[in-house]
Amino acid sequence: MLNAIGKGIEFIGGCTLFVGEIIHSGFRGKFSTHEIAEQTWRVSMQSLSTTALAGFFVGAIMTVQFTMQIQQFGALGYLGGLSTSGTIREIGPLLIAFMLSGKVGAFTSAELGTMKVTEQLDAIRCLGSSPIREIILPRYIAIILSSFFLLTIGLFMSIGGGLLLGMFFSGINYEEYLRHIPTIVAWPSILIGLFKCLVFSIILASICTYRGYTTTGGAKGVGQAVVNTAVATMIGIVVADWVTSYISEAIQNFFLGA
Amino acid sequence: MIKFENLVKKFGDRTILKGISFEVNKGDILFILGTSGTGKSVLLKNIVGLLKPTSGKIWIDKEEVSQYSEEQYLPIRKKCGMVFQHPALFDSLNIFENVAFGLRRHYQLDESEIQKRVKECLQLVNLQGIEDKLPQDISYGMQKRVSLARTVAVGPEVLLFDEPTTGLDPVTTNAVNKLIKDLSRKLKTTSIVVSHDMHCALDIADKIIVLDKGNIIEQGTPDEIKKSQVELVVGFLEEVEHA
Repeated sequence: MLNAIGKGIEFIGGCTLFVGEIIHSGFRGKFSTHEIAEQTWRVSMQSLSTTALAGFFVGAIMTVQFTMQIQQFGALGYLGGLSTSGTIREIGPLLIAFMLSGKVGAFTSAELGTMKVTEQLDAIRCLGSSPIREIILPRYIAIILSSFFLLTIGLFMSIGGGLLLGMFFSGINYEEYLRHIPTIVAWPSILIGLFKCLVFSIILASICTYRGYTTTGGAKGVGQAVVNTAVATMIGIVVADWVTSYISEAIQNFFLGA
Repeated sequence: MIKFENLVKKFGDRTILKGISFEVNKGDILFILGTSGTGKSVLLKNIVGLLKPTSGKIWIDKEEVSQYSEEQYLPIRKKCGMVFQHPALFDSLNIFENVAFGLRRHYQLDESEIQKRVKECLQLVNLQGIEDKLPQDISYGMQKRVSLARTVAVGPEVLLFDEPTTGLDPVTTNAVNKLIKDLSRKLKTTSIVVSHDMHCALDIADKIIVLDKGNIIEQGTPDEIKKSQVELVVGFLEEVEHA
């Protein structure tokens, strides 16, 4: 148990220092904006369809769940508002981020891990450049940008999924479904949802690049890095979800006095 | 000239190099031989700063570089090119861009000069017409030669080879060994080759060092090594006789 806690602290410390080094390298020298744009495009296109699909079904699941709960109270008119609120603020970012951690996170750590064990990163250093600036920084920024974009797309798709299931499963028309969304889903909920998307994107980018960059031990090491990335990002996202919920609740109460 | 002075390298509790001292003269070809896990590659990586020694000193020409920072190492890496055990070519770049990689970072050259230099370097390793291919589209032996061309392209004064013939068939092994000798003589570079290949070492080295468990157990010219009575060296020599 103590050993696991020690490893956890060591991982958080190492990851924090690594992110510091990435930021520092960004200020220290030129980096390729072309590479950032290319990586952002690649990651976004690679995961767009699956994220959209996942988002659609997250909204659908929430609608089915809420229908079963509120039908007995005769409050189906509130279905759209409640389902959208729960999806945008909590479940949507969480589940879609889980899916991205499996796709983007695993891919990136495997790619960087392979570059590490085949000495490509050492070769970059020997050829007069910095692997952090040349390889990691563009990927780090690209993953944050594309994950944020994908999560946002996923959230919009979840509204669509919820609406469609509301019409076909719960039997309410779209006007009724949409009517209470503006009253229940206030701007703070949308901002909190987007804030969570941003935090999850940063966690995903930090963990997968760190795990990939610190891979050791050949093919087995790459496999281990991918597994560790999946586990660490999921734990990181769940913990961050709790922390961001707590912080945003406190901020909302402070400003709105609710 | 490269000089090691009582170099020690530890990884945690494990001491890999236990006080290594030797020097290589300018223009010489030095072979470092030994069984797997004796610290040969670690020794090489200390020269280019990919690893930092725990204690001891490394001199490259008149500079003591053992505690240099990453920034300070940049001119040293221009001077000392390393060919890795894996070809370590960049998967996403074609052969031309792989060879041009170091040129673009070390020098301010225009595109026509880069093209000329890349072509020259590929010709040096007997490769032509593969500039547009990706690394995965050529054989492993060719990848190794492209890796050598990429290292040579920046014009290093010292060439470091980490097991350059590992994983190659005998014919390609001979071709790569000949290439090391020809390049070292033609470009007048100092070469340090980490290898298991005593046959090649006896053939082309000016000096041979044999490492075992982090210590130098024998060193000398090929003729001196042939007369060695050290058990491990005798084992290596018997291997050559049987080949």
